[in-house]
Amino acid sequence: MADDKDVLRDVWFGRIPTCFTLNPDEATEREAEPYYLLLPRVSYLPLVTDKVKKHFLKVMKAEDVEMWFEYEGTPLKWHYPVGVLFDLHASNTVLPWSITVHFKSFPDQDLLHCPSNSVVEAHFMSSIKEADALKHKSQVINDMQKKDHKQLWMGLQNDKFDQFWAMNRKLMEYSTEEGGFRYIPFRIYQTSSDRPFIQKLFRPVSPEGSAHTLGDLLNEMYPDALTRDGEKKRYQVLIHGIEPLLETPLQWLSEHLSHPDNFLHICVVPAPTD
Amino acid sequence: MALWITYEMTFYYVILLRLFTNARLLLRCAAMTETDCCVLDEEDFRRCCRLLLQRSEQLRDGWSWEVVQGSDEGYLRKTALRSVPDPQTSTCSSRPKQSKEEPDCASSLVPDSGRGELDEEDDGSCIVSEGSSVVLQYEYHILYSSSYSTPVLYFRAFTLEGRSLTLEEVWSFVHPNFRLCLQNSPLNALSQQEHPLLGQPFFYLHPCRTEEFMKLVLTAAEDKHRPMNYVLLWLSLVGPAVGLDVPLEYCIEPQPSDPE
Repeated sequence: MADDKDVLRDVWFGRIPTCFTLNPDEATEREAEPYYLLLPRVSYLPLVTDKVKKHFLKVMKAEDVEMWFEYEGTPLKWHYPVGVLFDLHASNTVLPWSITVHFKSFPDQDLLHCPSNSVVEAHFMSSIKEADALKHKSQVINDMQKKDHKQLWMGLQNDKFDQFWAMNRKLMEYSTEEGGFRYIPFRIYQTSSDRPFIQKLFRPVSPEGSAHTLGDLLNEMYPDALTRDGEKKRYQVLIHGIEPLLETPLQWLSEHLSHPDNFLHICVVPAPTD
Repeated sequence: MALWITYEMTFYYVILLRLFTNARLLLRCAAMTETDCCVLDEEDFRRCCRLLLQRSEQLRDGWSWEVVQGSDEGYLRKTALRSVPDPQTSTCSSRPKQSKEEPDCASSLVPDSGRGELDEEDDGSCIVSEGSSVVLQYEYHILYSSSYSTPVLYFRAFTLEGRSLTLEEVWSFVHPNFRLCLQNSPLNALSQQEHPLLGQPFFYLHPCRTEEFMKLVLTAAEDKHRPMNYVLLWLSLVGPAVGLDVPLEYCIEPQPSDPE
């Protein structure tokens, strides 16, 4: 674990260069310059776009209204981590990531409302709780105090790696005799159907005692994502923008490549054709 | 700590009381199945849903099973019209101001000071002037959560003109008695969440304490060797908070001519 701490850091400090442009249909008093930011992959859009909002409201006639984002016609779900949104919708495109900013016509049918950061906090804590229900039957999260929950949230909100991980490592513990968590909290995303993601029960260790791998998980949950012998590769399997080897043990991935919400978010996207 | 326990126990007591007063028959329902313990696995969930559907068909209660395209998963669905006091004319107290920093279940077990008083004063009635009610369309979905091994109630609501209700509006139409329970009890908060099978925004009742309160109810019933339908029992407890009542007919034995 100690040797792999660099991985945790690399994951935490992953950034995506992004260019925000105002939707041309918005009424402005003068032309709005685009706004550039490095977005943390593990954060959520509402937590890192205060400056974007301020920037565009300067030229807007409208007062403080709910801001939302779109990429090439797709409204971006703020409750997915930034890195997941990028991998799912914009991987293999030219950087910076070009996001369109909207203040009008909120798409009620597609997006959850996010009137304040406390809504993000509730969503984030709810995900952590669900993950711990899967990993430890909720025992670790229920044994924590309210200030411990706060520490996890503040660590994420303020981008404090050490503060977050001092608490999060407790959520990553398991007994050596079990060889892993009870179930692996994961979600597999794809864009080819309306169904947003696959999430089921999957154990890190097989009944025979061998470690399940990323390949085993995909084989069970989404076999189309795998390339069979002699076949042309159709899909990429991305976690934090990289394609981990399919032989990687799932337990290791869950401990090291999970997002701060404690879920392993896996994106299956069409392979670039070039 | 003592306060915490007392308060929670009081809530359980209320739940149990409801169970034994209005749902005694429910436990004897012919269309019921034995549940071995308090954990509901996906297969049990399906079986409970099938039994609920059978009875719903007999009662023409409107439940249906919806399959998600390209998967073996599905959910129970029902739509209903609900008449609520018009917020324009009603003096019904709206949602108490949220003072919690974390509006989900973690912090919701400790009652705010003064809540007890509020409870006594509140007889749950709204003072409504003549004829001032509005009709809303509610759509309810019952899904299975494999993380919590429980059913979860998702719903959305529209005006008859087709406008979606906001979270604030949905809260304001929760009966005042339930509002306190939802904010302070193991039944937990109401919030907006992505429907895990449809990907659209819905409201839902957070399931993270469902197992806990169902355990009490189920153990009590099991002691008396009563067969029961977990999903129906659970629905009769959480549904009324958001306007979904389970008719008592679900608990009455079907006629002998009905198929077994």
